[in-house]
Amino acid sequence: MSIKVRIPTPLQKLSNGKAEVECSAKNITELLDALEKDYPGMKERLSEGGKVRRFINIYVNEEDIRFVNKEETALKDGDSISIVPAIAGGCGLLWNAESENRRKR
Amino acid sequence: MLTFRKSDLQTMIDHCTAGLPNEACGMLAGKAGKVEKIYCMKNAKPGPDFYEMDAEEQFRVMKDIRDAGLEMVGMFHSHPTGQAYPSSVDVEKAYWPGTQLPNYPDAVYVIISFMDRAKPVARGFSIEEGKVDEVRLSMP
Ligand SMILES: [Zn+2]
Repeated sequence: MSIKVRIPTPLQKLSNGKAEVECSAKNITELLDALEKDYPGMKERLSEGGKVRRFINIYVNEEDIRFVNKEETALKDGDSISIVPAIAGGCGLLWNAESENRRKR
Repeated sequence: MLTFRKSDLQTMIDHCTAGLPNEACGMLAGKAGKVEKIYCMKNAKPGPDFYEMDAEEQFRVMKDIRDAGLEMVGMFHSHPTGQAYPSSVDVEKAYWPGTQLPNYPDAVYVIISFMDRAKPVARGFSIEEGKVDEVRLSMP
């Protein structure tokens, strides 16, 4: 079983410079473990307490896993995974945890 | 140096003006430091002090850019009341979470300040490992 994973530039040091790697996994949680086994440090970069980090978006083919089944999103042979850092920022004058919480509500 | 047409700057200013009082954002596609296409995008977390691209739209635009044989040469966002310089939040979010590794090391971050609404100011920056440098914006 082979799944293609596109590695974003900031993590390519961990993948020995490779922009694309292959691995086997039945879901995203297994994928994180499989990546960690081949490229130590990868899991911690991508997740925290088993959850994909905020500001990191993972796509299976073209589907955002957040709108499928999050970390339990099923994978199958031939799937192609993209890991895409969110683009965000702000003038930061008022930005803090409080204003972010307000926005979530 | 990042080169674009005057009309591209106007496209960015118009999009950001429409988004006021909140921040607005978009992407710049092109090649070799030359902007060929502007994508005006949605602010998924609109606030006067924050922006975040909509994840789906960001993915779609990045794919569109690749399919067109172009590169993401930069992105833009507005500072409705702040100066045209990357804030600490801009810099933090330019890095992979918890590191100082730039997410998009080759992209120019264009910031448009509306401190003077009648005269918006645009400046460009590269955000690399641990440092911010100005990138000249050129409109021949
Ligand atoms: Zn900003």
